Amino acid sequence: MDTFPTFFTRRRLLGLAIAAQMLFILAVAGAGYATTALGRTIVLRTTPVDPRDLLYGDYVRLNYSISQVKPELWHGSEAPKKAQPVYVLLQPANGVYEAAGVYATEPAAAPEQAILRGWVTDSWRRGIRLRYNLERYYVPENTGLRLEKSATRRPLLVRVSVAPWGQARITQVGEVGR
Amino acid sequence: MSRKLLETESPEWVRKGIITPEQQEQLLALYPHEERVVGLLPLLGSLLLGLSALSVVAANWQGLPEWLRLLLLLGSMGGAYAGGEYFLRRRNESLGMGLIGLGLILFGCGIILTSQMYQLIGYDATGLLAWVLAGTALTYLYRSRSIFILTACIGGIVQGYSTGQLGGFSYFTAALTVWGLGYYWWRRPDGLLGTVLATGLLWQAGLLVGHLHAKITWFFIPAMLIYAAGDWQADRPAARGLQTPPIAAAFLFTLGLALYGEADTYAGMLRPPFLAYIGALLLVLGLSLAGKYRRGRLGSATDWLLLLPGFYLHGGLALAIATLVVLYAYSGSVLWRAHQENNADRVTLGTVLFILTTMVAYFKLTWAFMDKSLFFLLGGALLLGLSWYLRRRNVQALSAKQPK
Repeated sequence: MDTFPTFFTRRRLLGLAIAAQMLFILAVAGAGYATTALGRTIVLRTTPVDPRDLLYGDYVRLNYSISQVKPELWHGSEAPKKAQPVYVLLQPANGVYEAAGVYATEPAAAPEQAILRGWVTDSWRRGIRLRYNLERYYVPENTGLRLEKSATRRPLLVRVSVAPWGQARITQVGEVGR
Repeated sequence: MSRKLLETESPEWVRKGIITPEQQEQLLALYPHEERVVGLLPLLGSLLLGLSALSVVAANWQGLPEWLRLLLLLGSMGGAYAGGEYFLRRRNESLGMGLIGLGLILFGCGIILTSQMYQLIGYDATGLLAWVLAGTALTYLYRSRSIFILTACIGGIVQGYSTGQLGGFSYFTAALTVWGLGYYWWRRPDGLLGTVLATGLLWQAGLLVGHLHAKITWFFIPAMLIYAAGDWQADRPAARGLQTPPIAAAFLFTLGLALYGEADTYAGMLRPPFLAYIGALLLVLGLSLAGKYRRGRLGSATDWLLLLPGFYLHGGLALAIATLVVLYAYSGSVLWRAHQENNADRVTLGTVLFILTTMVAYFKLTWAFMDKSLFFLLGGALLLGLSWYLRRRNVQALSAKQPK
């Protein structure tokens, strides 16, 4: 361990380690572009929120129609547990996607359906609360107030890109009809 | 010895005739003045400049174009690494390693901020695993204790995030900590690093037990595996460093059992399936004893007293008393071994453990039926008397072994 083989001198290994870290950060950025480019876009509807509650510094808090689902949609051998990772099957209806089932393991999806991954945050007799980590949208400079105003009038529509490998990202947050 | 000490003490030595004035000069010449203060001002200045730059960037972060944000992240990380190398080559170890550590922290920030920038969601700890991997690689490349400690902390943070936020235990992170940092410690034994490594691993083991909703007593299987690894380590101080956290955890657990074990509901929460748990524990015990035998340290096998699974007893008060007997046997064995080894620090440790056990025993056995003021009076007198007696014994025992 004290002597490195001739080609892999300590300096070269060090350079390699640092270059790999830079490439990794670039790869994360690349994954963002690839998700938009290769993924399919689904539209989710938010539920109205208290406007004072919406804007938090540089991000808005979004609450989706699929954030809370009926317990009948649950498909799993055991009852849903807190913090459990789940797969949510989405079905298009009137231009937006709504939850058609919540699964503990990845289900098969029809061509028009989509799958979004999430976590159980709470589960009780009349419903299951889910978290998708899509609840925060970091708004571009100075657009937060406009979003806040529109969200009080009607629900926002959120465009989400879902990559074939399951990665999701918000690509656009806007009003109905925009 | 520092120059400061020498400067204040040596005139007295000359006056008493221990050393001559010439020898005093020679001794002082061995410890030249360190030019530390000079280096501090530019460091403070650059720190302030760095902070102002950071606040400007942070205030305008959302407004900056994406490419500039990426460039800033990559640039600051690369700059920290390059700066670290620069200072290391000029033999400024602390500043150099500090900057390398900063680079590693900036790498983690880079991963998080970039995924936030593209609104990416992490479904598992893969992205953060790269952070632990980078830390491990840098630990090996720089052979640095501070990077080792930083990496152990990063591993703990990543695991905490993975189990807390992502609902899954990252077995890769755990494996990387065990094999990456563990192998490093094995090859370069070190007491402090052993303690840090064991603490980090215990944290991850605790998270795993919580994640699996298992009985908390299962925690002691991985904990004692870490302990057993210490038994096979040839370097004694390093082994002690690694073994301290698991033994401290076992001691605190046994102390808790003595205090609360009387209620069968508490003991019931601790009982894992008998055969599986005892089988696993015996296996680890065998490993540990084999290591102790190999390294000639069978005397320390008394540590395993703390692992006696008393919680299987349905005894109520009898369980509490049996646990107290175990605690007394353990702290007594620590004291006895410390006297054998003539090790003052261990004697202090044994004394503290003995007194702690006595406090718990006293609290447990007399609180219910004794008047409160009498309780505190007698308890105080007991502890004072006990500490006086133990200290006297220690002084006698240690001075008897000092070479005349």
